[in-house]
Amino acid sequence: MDIVRANDVSRMFPMPAGPVAALRRVSLAIGAGEHVAITGPSGCGKSTLLHLVGGVDAPTDGSIVFEGRDLASLSEPGRARLRLTRIGFVFQRFFLLPMLTAAENIELPQAEAGVAAAARRSRTRELLAYVGLTERADHLPSQLSGGEMQRAAIARALANRPALLLADEPTGELDEATSETIADLFDRVNADGTAILVVTHNPSLASRASRRLAMRSGRLVA
Amino acid sequence: MSALHLAWRTVRRYRAQTLLAIAGVAVIGALLFDMLLLSRGLLLSFADLLERAGYDVRIVGGGGMTLRMPIPDSAAIAGTLRGLPEIEKVALVRILPARIAARSGASAPSVALIGVSGAASGVWTIVSGVDLDRAPGEPCPVIVGRSLAAALGVAPDDEVRINAEPAGVRSAMPPIACRIAGIGRFAFGGAGDDTVATTLEALHRASGEDRPGDADLILAASRSDAGSGAAVAAIQRARPGLAVYSNDEVIEQFNRNGFAYFRQISLVLSSLTMVFAFLLVATLLTVSVNQRLGEIAALRAIGIGRRRVAAMLLWESALLVGVGGLLALPLGELLALELDRILRQMPGLPEQLHFFVFEPRALAVHAAVLVVTAVAAAAYPMWVASRLPIAATLRREVVG
Repeated sequence: MDIVRANDVSRMFPMPAGPVAALRRVSLAIGAGEHVAITGPSGCGKSTLLHLVGGVDAPTDGSIVFEGRDLASLSEPGRARLRLTRIGFVFQRFFLLPMLTAAENIELPQAEAGVAAAARRSRTRELLAYVGLTERADHLPSQLSGGEMQRAAIARALANRPALLLADEPTGELDEATSETIADLFDRVNADGTAILVVTHNPSLASRASRRLAMRSGRLVA
Repeated sequence: MSALHLAWRTVRRYRAQTLLAIAGVAVIGALLFDMLLLSRGLLLSFADLLERAGYDVRIVGGGGMTLRMPIPDSAAIAGTLRGLPEIEKVALVRILPARIAARSGASAPSVALIGVSGAASGVWTIVSGVDLDRAPGEPCPVIVGRSLAAALGVAPDDEVRINAEPAGVRSAMPPIACRIAGIGRFAFGGAGDDTVATTLEALHRASGEDRPGDADLILAASRSDAGSGAAVAAIQRARPGLAVYSNDEVIEQFNRNGFAYFRQISLVLSSLTMVFAFLLVATLLTVSVNQRLGEIAALRAIGIGRRRVAAMLLWESALLVGVGGLLALPLGELLALELDRILRQMPGLPEQLHFFVFEPRALAVHAAVLVVTAVAAAAYPMWVASRLPIAATLRREVVG
């Protein structure tokens, strides 16, 4: 069964010189447990597609159906709830809250989802161990390395046991060795049953995916 | 992990910005608090002076409270008042300019000589010696103001010579000898207190007039079970045509006329200070939100609701304004003490009159104004954070 399906989606951005098409009639389906990588040059529409699939942006044409629900039919709080509980986001720049420790960053989405404090703490300990950050639980992001920050961000994305993990250039700020560690972690996450859609320039990371797609000028070309 | 918790951690993280905002709000809040104290300070202080005299009804001659004119037939009026069941006590007050000289030769050519009948001692406080009613058998007991006593070098039991001069009359009468019963602080006396109080009889003798003059003011105290309103009504029924005022009416008159300037000035200045506090906190929060747009967009992308993000910013504003507002209270109090000291140096002001007077109402208004400021200052940053386009912001952050 598909977790998410993009049906003929287009995304136009209004510009002073006229509208620019970032996506042109793209269709994509991601099934449960799949690992999909999208590659392509900068500005080809990879991140735009990821944002549409994640429900943080809306297509100009076409529809996004997530677990059978058309995202356009959901209210903003409804989409936020869906992102909170069914989708995990990993960003190139990590975007951990700088004033919270690694553990607190992982607890935050669980608190928003209404998970009880004891269950939150238990899940957070489990995730910190999963990403190898048990010893860094009480460190602020500023006290972590880039790789550690990204691992904490992946743990945060997994906090509410999402069906789909969306990663936008997750190794874009990391060196080669650290990128490999993150790629290994994605493999484990996928092996444990979470579907992954990763947008990347990193061929090594893309090569780990079970399905690799390429984009050019707003279209999927392979 | 509540919005308050997130806000608390945020303000702790951005310490320099937080300290700057709190310091700014504290200073602005202190000014606001002072303006609130000033807006009703004189009125409250004036009301306190009136109440402290122990009389709640005043009868004056024509011209109202601000113009002192003799009350015709005042002795008979006082007699009538004493017979009213609503009245507990009555005092006549007459004020004449006078000259006073000590045995040492030190003298003051122009003092205010107050003659009182009955127990009017609430008008002054004895600093040393005894009150007029504790000097039995003394034909001319006097209470001398502190400053005047110091200038003349006199103390209780000393003899002084007084020569009263009714307005417009150049007296050639010899002065009369009086004995100082006590040194006093007069409720309406200034810092350079040049007031002398004595009995009405002694004032009459000092004036050299052939018959006792009319009082300038009749003070009456209502019985506690009647109240000043009933006492005023009873007096007006008994002696129609008299200008009778309860203390509340006197205060209201001054509120409308004498103190309106202070109220208006403090209203304008407190409004301005509120605008400054709003601008300061709104600017700092807006800058802070603009610096954290990526963070906020990411928070919303991972499903943190608009409400929690907005509530976090509202709490940030509340913490900055709240802590600043609390610090503003002692700061404002210190500032008010200093400003009060400076303003009270104005010549001719009663020594016990204050410009800045604390009342719980000022605290409540201060808190309410700061709450409004905190909410207003957070409104725009909240709007920005809850309306920002998530995808476009994330894209900009990465490209930037």
